[in-house]
Amino acid sequence: MGQDSDIKLLVDGKRLDGRSQFDLRNIRIEAGILHDADGSAFVEWGKNKVICGIYGPRECIPRHEASPYKALVKCRYSMAPFSSLEEHSRSGPSRRSVELSKVIREVFENLIITESFPRTQINIFVDVLQSDGGTRTTCITAAAVALANAGIPMRDMASAVAVGKADDILIADLAKEEDNFGQCDMPVAFSYRKKDILLLQMDGLLTREEIETLLNEAEKASDKVYAKQFDALKKVYESPEENFKM
Amino acid sequence: MNNKRIVLPGERISDKKLFMPNTFVEGEETFAAVIGMVDEEGKYIPLESKYKPLQEDVLVGIVTDIRHAGYSVDINLSSPGFISSKDFRVQLELGDIVSCKAGQVDEIGEVDFSEVKKLPPGKIIHFPPAKIPRLIGRKSSMISLIREHSGGDIVVGNNGYVWISEASNIPLVLKTINIIIRKAHMSGLTDEIAQYLKNQKTGE
Repeated sequence: MGQDSDIKLLVDGKRLDGRSQFDLRNIRIEAGILHDADGSAFVEWGKNKVICGIYGPRECIPRHEASPYKALVKCRYSMAPFSSLEEHSRSGPSRRSVELSKVIREVFENLIITESFPRTQINIFVDVLQSDGGTRTTCITAAAVALANAGIPMRDMASAVAVGKADDILIADLAKEEDNFGQCDMPVAFSYRKKDILLLQMDGLLTREEIETLLNEAEKASDKVYAKQFDALKKVYESPEENFKM
Repeated sequence: MNNKRIVLPGERISDKKLFMPNTFVEGEETFAAVIGMVDEEGKYIPLESKYKPLQEDVLVGIVTDIRHAGYSVDINLSSPGFISSKDFRVQLELGDIVSCKAGQVDEIGEVDFSEVKKLPPGKIIHFPPAKIPRLIGRKSSMISLIREHSGGDIVVGNNGYVWISEASNIPLVLKTINIIIRKAHMSGLTDEIAQYLKNQKTGE
């Protein structure tokens, strides 16, 4: 964000990858791809590739963390060492991955009906295999599909998308260059039914009016993401022969 | 699949208050909590769910620990069940398979066992708990069909563990069960499986 460069991010209203202002990248979602996880999903979002596995509700470890009132939601976000060109050369815990694990966890703490499973934990593992800007939104999208695939009771589904500003123009679904050299990046996660905002972060500056426009655009975009999530989950049951397995 | 529609968590399934498993009520409406199907009459059938023990359920468990007063048994719940050696006099060893009936279930889902039986060695497999009714079939039609063709005994636990005796044709049973897992939500499954088993027999 805010790095100086002479790259023109928008030329004649077209972005670097040929999209117009509020277009999303191509999204492909597969559900139920892992044999041993309780639920799983694979999401390809532009050049992002994310795989998610769900375990639980299972015995809470360490025991003393367990709550007698609800299940704990635990999330671990991790980037593969080969996931991007620079920075993330090792996949161990880092400042960034701890933050992302936390924000993803908080999205699902608000959705899962945790009271049904006291003294247990639900693990969400998201692994970024390839990154190109917007991995946290991709991970939330993947985890929502995987949780639905696992049969964990939820009050709503979550769909996430990033919106922002580059070259003084408001855009949706920022790619890596737009994120790095643009003016603002604002990832947002919505619940589908109630349109609750489950995640809202902002890096950069926007005016009040811009935020309003962008939130409306993000809401529209998240509905498109939800349609993809729905199709992926539906496909598991509609064409059981053609299921994709890793 | 026709005239049935898939609902995701959070979708409204009724504008009345229905108190069913795998749903939740908000205001005057009922919503799906897990992925499921709604048929033309508006009936909601969950497709994936976690096992919640109910009284009278048949359970299949694996002995995971021997303690001084009894045995810990894995019954596909987040906490192991406990069989007291006072109630069950047969000596068990680690890895033994038992079948039993669920007695009292308390509010945090812990189960008391009754009618404990030790099962002879066999294969144990996981089966999605939401799809167990399809594996058993109407008046256990499906499971008796499989038993008949496999030549051995099969015990289906409502908790999602299925025990297959060593005497049965295990590869055939596994293949059949895999078809049931993939097609559990489709109609006419018992006929399809009957046809499949018949074909397998003539193929031999």
